[in-house]
Amino acid sequence: MSTEKIKNSLKTGSDKDGYFGEYGGIAAGENLMNNLEELKKAFEDAIKDKKFLDEFAYYCKHWIGRPSPIYFAERITKKIGGAKIYFKQEHLNHTGSHKPTNTLFQVLLAKRMGKKKIICESGAGQHWSAAAATAAKFGMPIVGVMGKIDCARVNQNLIKAKHYGGKLKIVEGSLREAITAAIKEWSNNPDYYYLIGSTCSSSPFVDIVRYAQSIIGKEMREQFMELEGKLPNEIIACAGAGSNFTGSIFEFLDEPEIKKVVVEAEETAALTNGTKGIQQGMVTKFLQSDDGSKSLGGSSLGAGIMYYGISPQLAHLKDIGAIEASAASDKELLETYKLVAQNEGIGISFEPAAAVTEALKRAKGKPKDYIICATACGRVEKDLDVIERLIGKDFE
Amino acid sequence: MIAYFVACYPNFEKSLEIIKKSIDAGVNICEIGFPTQEASGEGIVIKNAHDHCLQRNVTLKDTIKLAKAVRNYNNDVGIILMGYMSNIFKYPIKNFVSDLASVDVDGCLIVDAPHELREENELRNLMNKKNLSLIKLVAPTTKEERLKKLSNLFSGWVYSLNFSGISGSKSANLEDVKNMIKKIKTYTDLPVCSGFGIKTPGDAKKMTQTGCDGVIVGSSIVEYIGKNLNDTKLPKNVGNIIKTFVEELK
Repeated sequence: MSTEKIKNSLKTGSDKDGYFGEYGGIAAGENLMNNLEELKKAFEDAIKDKKFLDEFAYYCKHWIGRPSPIYFAERITKKIGGAKIYFKQEHLNHTGSHKPTNTLFQVLLAKRMGKKKIICESGAGQHWSAAAATAAKFGMPIVGVMGKIDCARVNQNLIKAKHYGGKLKIVEGSLREAITAAIKEWSNNPDYYYLIGSTCSSSPFVDIVRYAQSIIGKEMREQFMELEGKLPNEIIACAGAGSNFTGSIFEFLDEPEIKKVVVEAEETAALTNGTKGIQQGMVTKFLQSDDGSKSLGGSSLGAGIMYYGISPQLAHLKDIGAIEASAASDKELLETYKLVAQNEGIGISFEPAAAVTEALKRAKGKPKDYIICATACGRVEKDLDVIERLIGKDFE
Repeated sequence: MIAYFVACYPNFEKSLEIIKKSIDAGVNICEIGFPTQEASGEGIVIKNAHDHCLQRNVTLKDTIKLAKAVRNYNNDVGIILMGYMSNIFKYPIKNFVSDLASVDVDGCLIVDAPHELREENELRNLMNKKNLSLIKLVAPTTKEERLKKLSNLFSGWVYSLNFSGISGSKSANLEDVKNMIKKIKTYTDLPVCSGFGIKTPGDAKKMTQTGCDGVIVGSSIVEYIGKNLNDTKLPKNVGNIIKTFVEELK
């Protein structure tokens, strides 16, 4: 479907000021404004450069292993009784999540801009291990920032990233604090490239990450047409800040008949329970105190979906009814992980377990030709220790 | 001399006393920072002071109350509030501006509100109507073309950042500052004040050679307060420190 032909297409980036409706924008300090302007221009130039896009496509295929397959989860489908449940298997990408697509795109962009060093933040460490791998592949030094809470529970990603040559700085807290600290690092070192991991912070970051990740939905379109001869009725994906969900649904934004459901962690469901505010470089929905001075929200097992804010584009899409929002609890994440492991022989991490949880609820009782696709955006390695500790005995 | 204070640090009464003694010591403009959790432009010293206040539930309302008390104490000193957009947006913007006007402060400075942000435009327009200044910042990374645009928005005075980075993190390079002040002055007749990296009265004196019209001292004062939170003579001692700065700037 071509975008040009559609009036009021939703398949657009932010407006000239970096907003999606009333959300987005640039809430950054003066010393970063030049960097953001430079980045915007470099991004807009790069996506018009066929050579650059060909290089991105080449490494997507040969280094990341794209396209990631779609997979019919037959035994779970039978067990639930209803719609056909599919997984978009992003966990089969190199480094084990959807993240390397974005890090590849941005490291190529950084190279094109002549940047010599990279900094990034990470929540679950999926972005950190992907970013460190990509930086190693292109011979660029990289510094990462993660919260202490997350470092304690995703050790596998930390080890991987260390082996790729990444230098990690640990700060108190989790993803929120990591983003703030990474922005501070960037302020102190404006000659670095800031490799953001999700669709958040100031414009043009939201557009850049969405551009890279929208390959997920494009592949889904081709794969479903080939395998099923039609598109799924519903697409479900989890979100911390939203890169995985945005990447999964962007392709289908002008097809309202396809339901798009974003699943947050119950404890940090900013889309459902947040209020509009300005923090972390953007206008969006946050779980925050009434006076805007403090963040709120609890703790989720899913480090990558434990974020008190949300992509401004998703806040806008929810307001206009283009997407639906739901949430999953820790208990559900554990149960779904177990179900998928035992019935499909696939180990998904806690984050996509949120999406699959929602898929199971929605599949029940639906007609047999109804298709629900849940994006499985991460593999379980980083969570194995926690799972073994919490429910290891269930598998004995 | 411009001095930065974190509102209600260590508490309302002591904070007010500190500011009063600083005014007595000759401070020209008091920059009163309202605490917020993210404080993305602040180094560890000021960030810790913000956290101290947040634990005691200090809000922007308390900061405005403090500013009012400062104004009641002295009619001539400049008072501006400084902070982040999050609190103002939630206040919300319209009430913030009318409260600023009603307590007779001179303006505010918002770290994370470039003119590209629509909410900044809303704030600036409302402030202009009330004759309040929204102080704009210029950074070493600000390009000439952007400076030209910014110069049309300058109000009150210009905050010139001596280095690119967070507060208290580096020292200022005199030659760079000199060039920057010169560049800014080609675009504006308003006073240009130099901030970041000014830690000692000696630093402040050196800055006067750059052509700037004022210096801003922040982290070093906040750090002193942080190290002497329970000292009963704290306000008097801060006043004495300010005096050493003011003497050097004469």
